[in-house]
Amino acid sequence: MSMFDIWSGILGGFRITASVTLYGLIFAVPFALVFGVAQYLTTGFARFLVTSVIEFWRSSAVVILLFVFYYALPVVGVTLSAMTVGAMVLGLNTAGYASQAVRAGLQALDRGQKEAGQALGLSRAAILLLIELPQALRAMSPTFINLVIQLVKATSLVSLITLTDMTFRAKEIAQVEYDPVPVYLALLLSYFMVCYPIALFGRWVERSVNPVREASRGI
Amino acid sequence: MGFDLDFALASVPAILGAIGMTLLVAVTSCFGAAALGFCLEIVRRRGGFVGLGVRFLIDFIRATPVLVWLYCLYFILPFYGVRLSALTVGIAGLSLYYSGYLAEVFKAGIDAIAKGQQEAARALGISRLDTVVFVIAPQMLRNIAAPMGNYFVSILKATPYLAVLAVPEMLGAAFDIASDTYRYAEPLTVAGIIFLALALAISQGVKWLEKRLAVSTVR
Repeated sequence: MSMFDIWSGILGGFRITASVTLYGLIFAVPFALVFGVAQYLTTGFARFLVTSVIEFWRSSAVVILLFVFYYALPVVGVTLSAMTVGAMVLGLNTAGYASQAVRAGLQALDRGQKEAGQALGLSRAAILLLIELPQALRAMSPTFINLVIQLVKATSLVSLITLTDMTFRAKEIAQVEYDPVPVYLALLLSYFMVCYPIALFGRWVERSVNPVREASRGI
Repeated sequence: MGFDLDFALASVPAILGAIGMTLLVAVTSCFGAAALGFCLEIVRRRGGFVGLGVRFLIDFIRATPVLVWLYCLYFILPFYGVRLSALTVGIAGLSLYYSGYLAEVFKAGIDAIAKGQQEAARALGISRLDTVVFVIAPQMLRNIAAPMGNYFVSILKATPYLAVLAVPEMLGAAFDIASDTYRYAEPLTVAGIIFLALALAISQGVKWLEKRLAVSTVR
């Protein structure tokens, strides 16, 4: 099998990899914003509930969550497609981390920002939406870009619940051809070619958000 | 069919019995990743051609999924006559993969120590090795304890990936029960809960450590 066949075979799975990532973001972005803000604003028992939901998605092993939702939900009468399960579990797992970045970003703001808003007679919602969130999200944007990369990499797991993404295709080709070396190396390179440009973009964003500190070079 | 609670409880001992394997994989991989990551960072700091190569390797690891690395090692090594057990491959894979992340943690830790520390040690006539061991390392460890602990939790949560290579850790044990009985929901849910409890316990430990170290840093 030629190198061209291997590459086009793996590329055939790119659409699924990209779809799971995009659908995952549809779950991740609202969850991260709502729960991050909620953890910032609430206190006492309400905060405990919010934190519990976040910790469930953040601290569970994502492989197991994927299997549990894929196999256990039908038993209790909820049948979702593998694509939905994959996007939801991977998206919400990423969102668990992202919500912590949202909360930390809000907490790191100078108190004077909120106090100035109150002195101007703005409502709490207006202070949050117009003053606090824009600054917090801007400061945390490099973290969010890193999390997108984590999400892309995590999509390789959906190959375990029958979705034909890049990893699934590569495994298939390697089994049929009995020549794993070029196939798996091509697969590594494929992910690198998707994720590395995002990482470089993240470093550029980090430099422009945070010109003094050296970029932390995170993926 | 419904969720059979009795069956779930009955599967607890068998899954919990594999916790030793999970912890063995997690602990050895933590040590492996920390040692390898420290070496990578030291080589990267020295610069030159080799340093540049290591720099690229770290970026490459961080832009590719851990699952694909495990497949690579597992399927490619035997092709070159290297026959290792699935357990060894799994530990090697997790160590290699997370060393890329820990190298970044060590980098931040070393960068954060003021250059004056090293110069002061030299002015006092302390040898180079003693400077690293007694001046740099203790301060670095305090700086990096929290992020390092977080990656150790990540490694714990990555151990179920090894079930894909048929290593008999907790997820593997859950799948054994599932394929014997054709009931997936219960054993997988049990495995998920045990992993969640384990991860939460360890991350609470990390948080406690972080607080203790923050107190001891106050002058």
